[in-house]
Amino acid sequence: MTLADVFSIMPIIIAACTTLVVLLCGPLLHSGTVSWIAVVGSGAAGLWAVNTPTAATPALPGLHFTPFAQFLIPLFCLSAVLTLLFSHGYNERRAIKGEEYPATVLFALFAMCVLPCATNLLILFLALESIAFAFYILVTMDLNRAESGEAGLKYLLMGAVAAAFTAFGFALIFAGSGTLELAGAVATPENRAIVSAGWGVVVIGIAFKLSLVPAHLWTPDVYQGAPAPVAAFLSTSSKVSAAALLLMLLAFSPPMPELRAPLYVLSLLSMVIGNLAALLQKNIKRMLAYSSIAHMGYLTLALLTGTREGYAAVLLYGAVYTAMNLAAFGAIASLSIDEERDLISDYAGLGFSAPLRGGVLALAMLALAGIPPTAGFIGKFFIFYSAIRGGEMTLAIIGIVSAAASAYFYLKVAVQLYMHRSRVEAATPRPTPAAESLALCGAALFIIVLGIFPAPLMRLVDAALR
Amino acid sequence: MTSDFPILTFLIFLPLCGSLLLFACRRSDDLARGVALSFALAEFALCVWLSLGSTLGAPAGAPAGFFRFEDAAWIERFGIRYTLGMDGISLVMALLTAFITVIAVLVSWTGIRERVPLYFSLLLALQCGIQGVFLSLDLFLFYLFWEAMLIPMFFLIGIWGHGRKIYSAVKFFLYTFLGSLLMLVAIIALYLMHGDQTGSYTFSLAGLLQTDVPYGLSLWLYAAFLLSFAIKFPVFPLHTWLPDAHTDAPTAGSVLLASLLLKTGAYGLIRFAYPLFPDAARAFTPLLYVVAVFGISYGAWVAFAQKDMKRLVAYSSVSHMGFVALGIAAWSPVALSGALLQMVNHGITTGALFAIVGMLDERAQSREIATYGGIWGKVPVLSFFFLFFCMASAGLPGLNNFVGEFLVLVGTFRVAPLAALGAFLGIVLTLVYTVRLVQEVLFGKENKPLSLKDLSLREAGVLALLALVAVYLGVHPGPVLDLFQVPIELLTK
Repeated sequence: MTLADVFSIMPIIIAACTTLVVLLCGPLLHSGTVSWIAVVGSGAAGLWAVNTPTAATPALPGLHFTPFAQFLIPLFCLSAVLTLLFSHGYNERRAIKGEEYPATVLFALFAMCVLPCATNLLILFLALESIAFAFYILVTMDLNRAESGEAGLKYLLMGAVAAAFTAFGFALIFAGSGTLELAGAVATPENRAIVSAGWGVVVIGIAFKLSLVPAHLWTPDVYQGAPAPVAAFLSTSSKVSAAALLLMLLAFSPPMPELRAPLYVLSLLSMVIGNLAALLQKNIKRMLAYSSIAHMGYLTLALLTGTREGYAAVLLYGAVYTAMNLAAFGAIASLSIDEERDLISDYAGLGFSAPLRGGVLALAMLALAGIPPTAGFIGKFFIFYSAIRGGEMTLAIIGIVSAAASAYFYLKVAVQLYMHRSRVEAATPRPTPAAESLALCGAALFIIVLGIFPAPLMRLVDAALR
Repeated sequence: MTSDFPILTFLIFLPLCGSLLLFACRRSDDLARGVALSFALAEFALCVWLSLGSTLGAPAGAPAGFFRFEDAAWIERFGIRYTLGMDGISLVMALLTAFITVIAVLVSWTGIRERVPLYFSLLLALQCGIQGVFLSLDLFLFYLFWEAMLIPMFFLIGIWGHGRKIYSAVKFFLYTFLGSLLMLVAIIALYLMHGDQTGSYTFSLAGLLQTDVPYGLSLWLYAAFLLSFAIKFPVFPLHTWLPDAHTDAPTAGSVLLASLLLKTGAYGLIRFAYPLFPDAARAFTPLLYVVAVFGISYGAWVAFAQKDMKRLVAYSSVSHMGFVALGIAAWSPVALSGALLQMVNHGITTGALFAIVGMLDERAQSREIATYGGIWGKVPVLSFFFLFFCMASAGLPGLNNFVGEFLVLVGTFRVAPLAALGAFLGIVLTLVYTVRLVQEVLFGKENKPLSLKDLSLREAGVLALLALVAVYLGVHPGPVLDLFQVPIELLTK
């Protein structure tokens, strides 16, 4: 192991060390200082990943800093930074004390940094389950709210089932191909049946993680129960890392035509049912949960084309989706005072009484609806373009029509923000703390700038898949 | 100014700069009004200055007929370019946009009292989107502006509207959004087909015009374009968003909707849908004739039954836009120039009528026809303009609409006499509702004792400007028709 090898896996080391520092020094320091250490640590890991050349060979057995990892690690770090910025004030208001919160976020980040570097199925599985493990804790973090514990239990049970499926799938692939190496775990004519079965079972496990219909039932409850910043992190990085796992299996191995049919059904159901169910929601977090189901359906649509264009679209959409959902949940976290601001009608008039947060929330809604000139439009365009190019015209049209219908429930939020008088009983929001303003502005800037100049991000995406 | 100064970019984004600047004027409403008016006037001055250059030859790389052209790489991965161009048609539309925006700023001077800076900011952002639609020559860029236009209008209706404003705003948004998404699929399909045929993937209009589209598929693609544009147009039976949106929008919102947003649909049909799929367009022509002629009569018929003046004017829009559709369906040089001129005319007269209804509404807080009656003696100046624009809208010779409708009818009569005849009968119906409106509002018995004030100097000035343009286009449409000539020759050859 050379110095270059150490450098190349430095983001993982930084994330791990910051976790330990926060845990060890946390009790001695002021909670604000702890939060800032965590923010700086995640930011440093991301910056390191951006500025380090990718390695030609694995640094350790099973860990390889590839261009793919170089794209995803900064994205995860950015998402962790924003989550931490959103949570500090939120946790203070809710009396969620202690250094375990930032430490758990950092631990999740550590696992997320490992995941795209993995070169064998075992490390991949460990990374995936470490992420889930961290989220089991984060979801239940708010001890004062009963829903938080209920959501945590649901998530744990569902997550355990998903983990079992994924592990069983990996075992089948191992049994068929005789290796845990990603590069070697491919189907050959002799072992086709068993390896294909293994892949099928892995897809079931990942469908749970991505909350694709019909494995989506946990999502609305968990999003509703979890603290808003945790929901932000869960709905973005955890989803993107599951999608990344699927991408690593599909994009870097020979094509698997037999996976098209299950993915087709998952994508179709998720887009249609996700958007239809979101139409009926009165609770904004449940609405966003169903919306994220639909968005994962779009991702799957691009994934199942099995083309390079489709994979590039998945990565780009992953980045865009991260920014949009972080902005949405961040604004919700910042606007929730003692209690969660749950109902969409609780947001009446906030566009004027809290212009920054209301504006960012409205922008996030327009972006999620895919309206130009936001990044959401570029992302959707890329997805549907790759689907049409990949020959999935029917599914693309179904997706586009369901996306058009989705505009209705996103607009509903904008309507409440700007077109309804604020109700008296809805408490006026307090001034935005600097950290939250910074995070919201960052996410909003990302959404707008990428909507107008997407070319640089597209170059990065193409480089990641090379 | 050097020749490579990106003047069209400047034209599109100048209003956006104004829009952003207005966020800094949150303290003072008067300052916001002033800033908005200065930007609108600057934009108009720029358009006038550009029209002086309309006789210039084509710059390097520009398609035939375009005297201003800008082109830059934008998203190389998909061959998306930032291509803007101005020919006679775009120039007239840009002029109309700039002019109507000045009018829109002036008519909302006192009517809007809440959140004034945000209001004007959205107004200018809308102008940016509309100018972008009229100047884009890359289908992706066009689509971007086409959709971006929706957001400011949605908020304008939803925040400052009346009545069921939220319902109307959402309905307006969803109708247009659904239509345009299907157009996006068609654009992508066309793009891929062109790329597969030639190996160069591009969204540029000039490139895509060379695509060899199989007839069966071109019908589908054209249908997707037509659906999107027909919703905006609006063509019967896709018009149902229009009366709601027009009625519930604030005055300036109705003016902008009627005068400009409806035009983008017609413009898209002329600029993109017809040239891209000529065979499919021919196949759809009978359908377009039917909906155009039916729309003319239907709009007039329903307008006759309205009690609300704004709704009446809104349905009259459906009727008038039927003439534009008719001219496009005929696709002969005369009919097409009539249709384009009618687009401008409708923008002027309907914009003015909405403005007048807004002024009456500001005075008596009512848009019901029954509220008024016999106001001729009380507010002579307002009544004069009311009568003037009603007559213009009914097609009185010497005023603008007459010329446009006449050209459309003459052009259509040559190719489809039956359709021309049907449209002619529609004009009779137009007279019926106009005369009823004039009679019941201006003359007749006073229904309620109202104390109305006559027009202020600002209001009279706005209407006088519009009336001047109406008279000018009515007696001397030559210069505008000359601008259309070259592009129309290229389109219909």
